[in-house]
Amino acid sequence: MPLTKYTRNFCIIAHVDHGKTTLSDRILEHTNTVAMRVMTDQHLDSMDLEKERGITIKSHPVTMTYRAKDGHDYKLNLMDTPGHVDFSYEVSRSLAACEGAVLLIDAAQGVEAQTVANAHLAFAQKLKVIPVINKIDLPSANLELCTRQLEDILSIPAEEAILASGKAGIGIEDILEAVVNRVPPPRWATYPQLRCLVFDSLYDSYRGCIAYVRVFSGTIKANDQMMLMSNGQKADVKEVGVFMPKMTKIASLGAGDVGYIVSSIKNTSDVKTGDTITLAARPATEMLPGYKEVRPMVFCGLYPLESDDYEKLKAALGRLRLNDAAFVYSSESSLALGFGFRCGFLGLLHMEIIQERIRREHDVDIISTYPSVIYHVIKHGGEKIDVDNPVNMPDPGTIEEIREPTIRASIILPNDSMGDILALIMEKRGVCEHTDTLDQNRVMLRCVLPLNEILVDFNDRLKSITHGYGSMDYELGDYIASDLVKMDIMINGDPVDAFSCIVHREKADAKGRQLCEKLAKIIPPQMFKVAIQAAIGGKIIARDNVREMRKDVTSKCYGGDISRKRKLLDKQKEGKKKMKQIGKVSIPPDAFIKVLQND
Amino acid sequence: MSHIASEQDKAAPDRPLGLYVHVPFCASTCDFCAFYQTKPTADGVERFLAGVANEARLVSWARPVTTVFWGGGTPGLLAPRDLGRLADIVRSHCGGAPVEWSVEMAPASVTPQRLAALKAAGVTRISMGVQSFQPALLEGLGRQHTRAQIYRAYEHVRAAGFASVNLDLMFALPGQTETEWADDVREAVRLAPDHISTYCLTFEEDTALWVKLSQGRVKLDPEHEARLYEATWAQLREAGYAQYEVSNFARPGHACLHNLNTWRMHEWVGLGPSGASQYAGWRGANVADLDKWLELLGRGERATEDRVAATPAQLAEDALIFGLRMNEGVNLADWRARCAEAPWAMVDALLARCNAEGLTLVEGDRARLTDRGRLLADSVGAEVMEAFSVQPVVPA
Ligand SMILES: Nc1nc2c(ncn2[C@@H]2O[C@H](COP(=O)(O)OP(=O)(O)O)[C@@H](O)[C@H]2O)c(=O)[nH]1
Ligand code: SF4
Repeated sequence: MPLTKYTRNFCIIAHVDHGKTTLSDRILEHTNTVAMRVMTDQHLDSMDLEKERGITIKSHPVTMTYRAKDGHDYKLNLMDTPGHVDFSYEVSRSLAACEGAVLLIDAAQGVEAQTVANAHLAFAQKLKVIPVINKIDLPSANLELCTRQLEDILSIPAEEAILASGKAGIGIEDILEAVVNRVPPPRWATYPQLRCLVFDSLYDSYRGCIAYVRVFSGTIKANDQMMLMSNGQKADVKEVGVFMPKMTKIASLGAGDVGYIVSSIKNTSDVKTGDTITLAARPATEMLPGYKEVRPMVFCGLYPLESDDYEKLKAALGRLRLNDAAFVYSSESSLALGFGFRCGFLGLLHMEIIQERIRREHDVDIISTYPSVIYHVIKHGGEKIDVDNPVNMPDPGTIEEIREPTIRASIILPNDSMGDILALIMEKRGVCEHTDTLDQNRVMLRCVLPLNEILVDFNDRLKSITHGYGSMDYELGDYIASDLVKMDIMINGDPVDAFSCIVHREKADAKGRQLCEKLAKIIPPQMFKVAIQAAIGGKIIARDNVREMRKDVTSKCYGGDISRKRKLLDKQKEGKKKMKQIGKVSIPPDAFIKVLQND
Repeated sequence: MSHIASEQDKAAPDRPLGLYVHVPFCASTCDFCAFYQTKPTADGVERFLAGVANEARLVSWARPVTTVFWGGGTPGLLAPRDLGRLADIVRSHCGGAPVEWSVEMAPASVTPQRLAALKAAGVTRISMGVQSFQPALLEGLGRQHTRAQIYRAYEHVRAAGFASVNLDLMFALPGQTETEWADDVREAVRLAPDHISTYCLTFEEDTALWVKLSQGRVKLDPEHEARLYEATWAQLREAGYAQYEVSNFARPGHACLHNLNTWRMHEWVGLGPSGASQYAGWRGANVADLDKWLELLGRGERATEDRVAATPAQLAEDALIFGLRMNEGVNLADWRARCAEAPWAMVDALLARCNAEGLTLVEGDRARLTDRGRLLADSVGAEVMEAFSVQPVVPA
């Protein structure tokens, strides 16, 4: 009889605020395990941001023991999943470490966009999904609606739903029993060699990289020599352990276990999420399925507001990268913004989080350039290049076709905002493929949108049109050919790199006009005439003039005190040195920043 | 150091030499004032007079003084007897009668006795700080005189028979409308002085007005200031006062020679605390403190502040900066000849650009600002400085 018979690996998936944390705590209490919240407070000091936004970036797995009604003690590994689509690959790896998923639905809210996205990910991993309608203690709970949505939208039989309340402690035992009885025991346990799935990793300044793993088959212990199957890298195992929820050293990890491995590897970027760890001496022949190199999808330049902060920013990026292999950066410099970094992120939220952490935790004020995506550019003659920075877009004459990434979005919204949202989707060059009625008040749209169109204000506008009731989730779609052009912004004929962008041809005029106008307004009056132009491949599509300075003469020069006057002019001249020189025009550095901030 | 005769003394004894005396006493402090001044005391005045005498001996210039200018402070605040004593000191070092001798006076302290003392001493020009004819605006500046005092003072000055009389006016005062300013100019013109100076209120650091500005109690409005400038120029031109510098207007033959000479980068010696000199290859200012000035003088030191070599390149640069501010402009050919090593290519490029943008006019050897350029004289000046900073200036 395999040891794994009494082990269950599961996770809880839910839309933000549907009660995952509360319910997890209840489950831990019920199994006499230290509460997750206590853990979080104690051990993860830097995660305010996660709590604030109701998302999890780092996994906090925990191992519990539960005496089931059948009289047996079960080892339950509760996996935590990152709560956002940007991290869908990470989510998929966390899910891949489980056999079952508890899907929470807020009884008063019903199915939300993230519920749908998460459920689909769980189905894709072939997990047993246990639907739980949570918060049934709420007077506004609508059980009938929730069960109907389960059936209609997710095709989950209504009878399977468990009614619960994390807050009131209702249904906890039912959920644990369902985990024991409905979730199958660990898969692939009889595979002849060691195979551990890396689902996350953590950087520890003393111990280096700590890999979070789910062991599928075999055993691993300290002093083994392990091997990462994606690249054959070998390392010595220093320690293995489990999450109780505190990291607790044990002798060995075996099939079905969830735990951690400390090895001689220092960098988290060497231990990739989704990789398979095997033993160097007796390696497995096939990796666990689903490994993918994660590639950043969204890029932007990050620059210190104070150029003195460059080193500080560099150090901050380095430290963030230690714990987040999906975040990449390299140095770049911009005429307008000075020295900074080109950064790549999994998605918009990832970008926002990293920027926020740089500001808050590393105390560096930064400005970011317009986000960009990776364009596939096909040149005449068939050569294909990837462009993640508009500055690198080749000459339009050499381009056969530009392809841009799309997303498949699920947008849930109140009926009465339908018209405005459809107009928004149109404006953003999207196509709506499907409309589902969720209930009397809400519909769900499935649409395809170019990724670059949702980078800037899509979510904000969705929220404002729907008065906060709309929600969106998305997954990456295909690349499609589009009529895209690179637009440059020029100051007296000299391009300002930070404002170059890739836009759809039909939107270029409006965007060009808007940018020119904004720059012309923000740049302080100049003594010489300064023209701001937007151009596509040398053709001017919009133009504005910076206001001309009217008067700056100061009159007093008394009694021959030349030096006093000179000092005044010298100050003016020195002030100019601190400015950015675009051709012959001196522009205060914060003018560019203001334009970028205004968006 | 001070006994080295100026190169200009030897080479060209007929070149102008100015003598500036800073009389650092004021009855009270005006809100916009950034000049060095202190309350007059009998002892302070005594020590000041002794100091000026000492300093004049210490500098001991060789050639005759062309112009004298007593500024302040309020030179006109000294008692008639002290005015006479100061004049005696000055005259004893002038090597003859200067062609122009200006004294600044405040309307409140103009008396026939003082004027008589000055006239007797050889003063030719009185410059009176009127600032405004509007009581409310005068109040706002913290100026200590009334409208009636202005008229009375002017009458006395005219009665005393000085060759030239200037009235100082200020504009862009907090709350001042364009009409009010035009009225002030009209009123000044009605008095028919020989010279009018109009100063746009500047907010200098460490003044009461600066504090108001930084507290947001007054606001800068360059557009409004520009309109006032332009209106002034037109109004005074029509009244027969030709503009010869950003802030200065005169009837024919009444331009202030002393100031013209400084802007043309000739030489001048400044006596008294904070007095600035450009003489014998050096430029510098005295320390702006009566006691420290006296103390340094005791050790034979003067003009120690901002002391720099007045190299040909430095002079060429400043001749451009200050020359452009004058309506006559600057003679480029002269300066090219005096200082071949200055970065003239940069200057030419700058002027070409300014010409193209309608900021300057270059006609023959002369460059000057257009009306629009004159309003941007500081920016143009800063550009000139930058042009000169491109190439290290060869020390003389
Ligand atoms: N009435 C009620 N409120 C709940 C219940 N569970 C959670 N909440 C509340 O819902 C909000 C979100 O809960 P939390 O557990 O943090 O949700 P998470 O974002 O999914 O982790 C909090 O204000 C909780 O107090 C429940 O069963 N009943
Ligand atoms: S009178 Fe002149 S020097 Fe005296 S305080 Fe007023 S502005 Fe300053």
